[in-house]
Amino acid sequence: MNVEISDLTRRFGRARAVDGVSLQAGAGVFGLLGPNGAGKTTLLRMMATVIPPSSGTLRLLGRDPSSYGPRREIRRRAGYLPQNLGYYPGFTVLEFVEYFALLKDMPPRQVPRAVAAAVEQVGLGDKARSRLRTLSGGMLRRAGIAQAIVNQPELLLLDEPTAGLDPEQRVAFRSLLRDLGDRSTVIVSTHLVEDVGAACGDVALMDAGKIVFRGTPDELTARGEGSGAAGDAPLERGYSAVLAAARSVTAVRS
Amino acid sequence: MTGGHEMAGDHESLAGPGPGPGDVDLGRVWLGVAAQVWRRRPGPAERAAGRLLRSPGLARALMITPSLLAGWLIATAVVLTAGVFATLGTGTPYVPLLAPAVAAAGIAYAYGPGIDPAWELSRSMAVSDRMVLLARALAVFAVNAALGLAAAAAGAAAVPTAAAVTFGWLVPMTAVCALALAAATLARSANVGVTVGLAGWVIVVLAGQAASGRVTAVISDTALVLPYLAFAVVCAAIAWTATRIPRGTS
Repeated sequence: MNVEISDLTRRFGRARAVDGVSLQAGAGVFGLLGPNGAGKTTLLRMMATVIPPSSGTLRLLGRDPSSYGPRREIRRRAGYLPQNLGYYPGFTVLEFVEYFALLKDMPPRQVPRAVAAAVEQVGLGDKARSRLRTLSGGMLRRAGIAQAIVNQPELLLLDEPTAGLDPEQRVAFRSLLRDLGDRSTVIVSTHLVEDVGAACGDVALMDAGKIVFRGTPDELTARGEGSGAAGDAPLERGYSAVLAAARSVTAVRS
Repeated sequence: MTGGHEMAGDHESLAGPGPGPGDVDLGRVWLGVAAQVWRRRPGPAERAAGRLLRSPGLARALMITPSLLAGWLIATAVVLTAGVFATLGTGTPYVPLLAPAVAAAGIAYAYGPGIDPAWELSRSMAVSDRMVLLARALAVFAVNAALGLAAAAAGAAAVPTAAAVTFGWLVPMTAVCALALAAATLARSANVGVTVGLAGWVIVVLAGQAASGRVTAVISDTALVLPYLAFAVVCAAIAWTATRIPRGTS
């Protein structure tokens, strides 16, 4: 298992952004669904070793990220696309991807080819020498994806990767996700249910910091059948039904 | 998608369905060509930094330090040059009084949220953000010390105690820079770092003047060297603590 999480909690003051989450994930594309504020981004940031957990255990790629050496090795082998991708406006796409390839400690001789491959994989070859400030939001997102995959990560963490992509780009991106999932663990946080249905083999639904569903997209769809839950697509109805059930349980307990 | 390129799951897909026996894998060839054509050649300074730091990533991070970019360095030179003329015109050593404040601003603007647009992403990288901060802070300090020394030497002719004020400000500059760095890392704000650093320095200068009647007391009084150094060490420890990743309980 590339991701092993047990009873993970992250507090910000008194608020529990992630509350006792347990999760295991091996190779494949894993979808992390949930409404805004469910704790998806916080969970992903802990997996990206950007912030530490308040409690619980976290093992990534067989290592404990709480120590410097293992954390560095995890970071070498992982890729991360944050929800808010900051970028250097004066950098070209190539310079941006190369910068993060170097910060991932990739051997310098491998960097030019890896950068070229990543830029081509996200379809930015003809914008490779364009400054980031001249790119559209969707292109910037793809530049962000390129830096995340430049080191051919064993663990790829993508926070809202399809935000800003047009429908054609999203279809192409899902195809890329499936290919990446063949050889590594890809965890995609999104609130777009159709992305999960199309690309993910496994899905977890978060609400209020907890995982309220874990299964396949088909199993999530089945939860919505006959429930009368809102949604235009079967998967959306499953999503709504699970959320409604989780919230009613919470309401009864409180 | 731009230019007809689609996101490709593998490089071979760029060349169609894949090479047959004896065919050329155009996707692979193109990647080789692109890697060569697109390769960025690091400048001499970056290559030297890479060898010195033993990390091309750290060297690249150093080269894009906001307060080492041309615009910032030009602004620093302009301020110090104005200080030289003011010193020559009045006989008051303005350069040694200005240089610590300028350096403190540079240190605060070396690294951090709001300064590095991709700060969160940088924090997830193998080259630790703490090392980036350290390398950048040292480089900014060294460049500012060199510029300040040159400016102080240029204005030294107008100052009676030339040697004392030419070199005496280096220790207070260390303390003010450490204060700015500690404030910036604690507050996670470069602006807070600059404000605290500048305010701290102004208070010290005014206090020195009030106590001794000399505006240069804070840079020429050797009794202050140890307190400055102790203060710098405390501030450096604060910055070090503020930039560590808490282990949590995992």
